[in-house]
Amino acid sequence: MDVSDMTIGHIAEPTVVVDDISVVYRTKNQTPGRTNARTSFLKKLRTPRRGDSVVRTTALSKISFVANQSDSIGVIGRNGSGKSTLMKVLAGLIIPDSGTVYAASNPILLGVNAALISSISGAQNIRLGCLAMGMSHAEIDAKFDDIVEMSGLEHEVYHPMNSYSSGMGARLRFAIAAAVDPEILLIDEALNTGDAQFKERSKKRMEHVTSQAGTVFVVSHSLSTITSMCNRALWIDKGDFIMDGTPDEVAKEYRNFIWRINEGNADYGRKIRAELMASLPEMRTTLLPNGWKRSR
Amino acid sequence: MSTKEQSRAEETKTPTVSVPVNLVRLSKVGQRPDFLDYLVQLWDRRSFIFFDARARVQSEHDKTHLGTAWLVLTPLLSGLSFYLIFGLLLGTSKGIDNFVGYLIIGVFTFQMTTRSVLGGAKSLTSNTSMIRAFQFPRAALPIALNVRELISNVPVTIVMLLFIIFTAPAEEITWRWLLIVPAILLQFLFNLGIGMLLAPLILKIPDLSMLISFVVRFWMYASAVFFAETRFDQYPIMRTMMDVNPVFQVIKIIRDSLLYDTTPSWRAWAVLGLWALGSVAAGLFVFWRGEESYGRV
Repeated sequence: MDVSDMTIGHIAEPTVVVDDISVVYRTKNQTPGRTNARTSFLKKLRTPRRGDSVVRTTALSKISFVANQSDSIGVIGRNGSGKSTLMKVLAGLIIPDSGTVYAASNPILLGVNAALISSISGAQNIRLGCLAMGMSHAEIDAKFDDIVEMSGLEHEVYHPMNSYSSGMGARLRFAIAAAVDPEILLIDEALNTGDAQFKERSKKRMEHVTSQAGTVFVVSHSLSTITSMCNRALWIDKGDFIMDGTPDEVAKEYRNFIWRINEGNADYGRKIRAELMASLPEMRTTLLPNGWKRSR
Repeated sequence: MSTKEQSRAEETKTPTVSVPVNLVRLSKVGQRPDFLDYLVQLWDRRSFIFFDARARVQSEHDKTHLGTAWLVLTPLLSGLSFYLIFGLLLGTSKGIDNFVGYLIIGVFTFQMTTRSVLGGAKSLTSNTSMIRAFQFPRAALPIALNVRELISNVPVTIVMLLFIIFTAPAEEITWRWLLIVPAILLQFLFNLGIGMLLAPLILKIPDLSMLISFVVRFWMYASAVFFAETRFDQYPIMRTMMDVNPVFQVIKIIRDSLLYDTTPSWRAWAVLGLWALGSVAAGLFVFWRGEESYGRV
């Protein structure tokens, strides 16, 4: 598999090492009867929270992989498979319950939530976002025009953000985050909101990052986006890491799996899934500097 | 974990990849820095803090036609209503010299603490989009909120001084009027510290935000906002609580300096200073300790 080739041959330096991470969400399970419009208040008091219990949902389970310089990695999977959670963990916004993420620099996440402060103008949001990422006023002044051009907004940039369409907001966010020249860029479905012109621009941006020996992660439901823009793909399903390979291979297996499930042949689909998962190589990390070894 | 994993690996006979992690080049993602590094990071984000505070002061009133004029109009109108009701209509003094001035100082000063503490306590829960979008030291959020309250408090304080100068009985302006600046700055530090102590708690237990407003109401009664401070003299416990209450001390310092032409006692400064520095130190430390958990919102 290409992961092992890369690391053993030292062709490229790893930029992100994901070591055995698991994330568990705790949510309240509500009684099915809750949705009924008329439940007597007294009855509710008498049987207090019978079905309410804390449910643990495993969002990610023991995920390990290595991302290298110049990789653009597509992440695919069904809804609720943990793709967005993985991006948040990589960005350091969620600390996993177990395991560690190592990265060469701070990964920047581009999500779909657009507005920062919706009542102030796009121009002020640009400044606020750049300041939050640690840029100085002078650096922002120098890059301001580029950011506005990248966002594709013209005079609208001086309108308050709450007058923007969702696509305009996403474009602005993308432009702000790209302004710091991140070495590791995480894109969570943001490409789906833009028009053709924006897609072209963001593709250029991704190529710029990978040409600078950076790494890009793209979450998308569009297999064609991933096969055309990425050189590697990861497939996760219900928190399990299923497959890691070239976009064409992974897309083929993924389509096959989805087709079996939709056919009603879920058992066969599960068999494919289990086989692929079992063929994944185990990963051990060794911490270099003080000779302290870590294995599992 | 390890035995189970190993046995599974043996069963399936999968190859094992060894990955060296060079900690010179790679570092852990999302790990909170050392406390001192954290303070340095916060200092580096000072322009973010000020810009956020300024932008929000402006945007707060954007939906109104008069805009930022409300920063002055709101305290002006509330001061005027106190003057009309207590100064002219009721003519009550409750045995207090310059009751209108006494009341306005009490209400305006306490209001800054209420707004700052409640806002600071909610600074994590109300900024989820910022937290999800960018990686920055989260303590910047409560600090920005308190700076914003301090900025909006400037016109409030000016209106307060104008009322004291222009409504009867007019007070003389002395050098002591300058003392309200350090008093308000210490109050700012105290508010910030309490907000930072509460914010992680409210993120974990959202129910507490419902209770805080009730606590604030009791706190207001223990700060002698609208009655004489001698009122509870027959209850020693109440008296002690007021004595160690930093907000009461701020109000007392401002009243002494502006109305009664007396230099505030060292005791009042000591109580206020200790609370301010203590709460800001404890607040920063507690906030820093929880730093890693704030992304999970």
